[in-house]
Amino acid sequence: MITLKNVFKTFDHNGKTLEILNDINLKVIDGEFLCILGPSGCGKTTLLRMMAGLDMPTSGEIIEGDKVVRKPTRSRGFVFQQYSLFPWLNVVDNVSFGLELRGIDREERYRKSREYLKMVGLLPFQHSYPQELSGGMKQRVAIARCLVNKPNILLMDEPFSALDVQTREKLQVELVKIWENEKKTIVFVTHSVDEAVFLADRIVVLSKSPGLIIENVPIKLKRVRDRNSYEFLDVKKDIIQLLND
Amino acid sequence: MKKTIYSLVLPILIIFVWAILTTFTGYIPEYILPSPNEVFQSFFELIYNGILLEATLYTLTQVFFGLIVSAAVAIPLGILMGWSAKVEGLLKLIVGILRPIPPIAWIPFAILWLGIGLTSSIFIIFLGSVFPILINTIDGVKRIDPVLTEVAYTLGATEFQTIRKVVMPAALPSIITGLKIGVGIGLMCTVAAEMIGSNNGLGYIIVKYETFLTNEVNNQYS
Repeated sequence: MITLKNVFKTFDHNGKTLEILNDINLKVIDGEFLCILGPSGCGKTTLLRMMAGLDMPTSGEIIEGDKVVRKPTRSRGFVFQQYSLFPWLNVVDNVSFGLELRGIDREERYRKSREYLKMVGLLPFQHSYPQELSGGMKQRVAIARCLVNKPNILLMDEPFSALDVQTREKLQVELVKIWENEKKTIVFVTHSVDEAVFLADRIVVLSKSPGLIIENVPIKLKRVRDRNSYEFLDVKKDIIQLLND
Repeated sequence: MKKTIYSLVLPILIIFVWAILTTFTGYIPEYILPSPNEVFQSFFELIYNGILLEATLYTLTQVFFGLIVSAAVAIPLGILMGWSAKVEGLLKLIVGILRPIPPIAWIPFAILWLGIGLTSSIFIIFLGSVFPILINTIDGVKRIDPVLTEVAYTLGATEFQTIRKVVMPAALPSIITGLKIGVGIGLMCTVAAEMIGSNNGLGYIIVKYETFLTNEVNNQYS
C-alpha cells in the first residue's frame, strides 16, 4: 500500500516558483487498478515519479508499507512513457536485467524471463534486439522486464500513449488480463478518459495546474468492458464533465 | 569490383605523372624527388632485409603499450567525470590546462625524466592519446538517455551497478571513437618522438636515411 500525505511539489523556473502539485492526499489500496487521469501538464507524471522515488516531494511524504519513499527500489516497478529498453541487450537479456542485478544465475533468470515473455506473447522474439521491435512490442517487453522482478506495485506512466489506436486497445486488454492473473497493484497515469475507464477500478481525476485531486471515481463496470456499451459511455461522459468544470 | 577499379584510377594516374616528371623527362632532379621505380626498389629492399618490418613492429609495440596506459587512465576517469559533476569540477581545470600542450613539447621532459627509450616513448604516446579518449568518454557518459539509468534504479540497481551495466555499455560507442582517434594521434606522436629521441622504430629510420641522403647531396655539390 502506498500513502501520500499532504504532498506538494514546486519547481523553480527562471527564478519563478511553479506550483505543480497541490496538497495531494491519496491511498493506493493493495490489488487495485488505479488510474490517475488529468490534462497534459497537470503534474500526473511527477506524481507517479515521486511514488517511484525518482523525484522528491517539496513537502509532505510518501509512504510504502511502513517506509518513507526516498529512492527507487525494486518493490515499485516503473514502466516509462518513452521506449526504455537497453539497446545493447536482446529481449531476453533486457527482461532478465533485474534478476541479473541480484546475481541469479543465467539458467534460472532465462527460465523466469521466458515465462513472462510468453505471457506478453513475445517468446519467439527473445533473441531479437530492441531496434527490431515495433513500439507495442517494446512496451510489452518493458512490462515483462518489470513483472519478472516481482514488484509489489506497478507504476505505469502513459505506457501506451505513443502507440496506434488498435495496438493500444489490444495492450489495454492484455494488461487487464495480466493484472487479473498476477494480482498486482497498478497505478496507471493517462490523459485518455477512454483508457482510464477501460482499465481502472478507481480513477483519480486531477485538475489543470496546479494539479489537485478533483474527484475519486470508482468504476464498477464489469470486466471485460465493452467500450461501446451505454454504461461505459455514460461513465466517460461524467468524467469528461468533471475535467471540463 | 567496379568500385575497386574506380578507386584505383587516381593513384595510377598520379604514379604515371610522377614517372613522367622524373624517370622519363628528368624535369625534377632525382635528389629532390626520387623516381617511382627507385622508391619501390628501396621499399622492397627494406622489406627484404627486415629493417622496415622490425622498425614497424617496434613502433606499433610502443603505440600499443602507450594506448593501454591511456585507456586504463582515461576510460575510468572519463566515466567518473561524466557521471559526477563533483569529480568533473575537481579535474576540469587541470585537464583544460594540460590538454592543449602538444605531446611533442613534452619530449625534453620525457628524456630528462625517463631517458631515451621505451618508457619515454610510452609517456609521449600516453600524453597524446589520453585526452581524446577522456573527452570522448565524458561526452559519451553525458549523452546517455536518462531514462536508461532511471530504469536501472527502478529495477533495483545500486549506483555502482548502474555505472557498470548501463553507463559503460551505453557510452561504449563514444569510448571506441576516442580510442580510434587515440591510435592515430599515438602513432603520430611515436614517429615524431622516435625522430628526436630513439634508436629504433619508424621515426628513427626516417631520420637515419635522411642523414644518408643529406650526405649524398652534400657530396654532389662539394
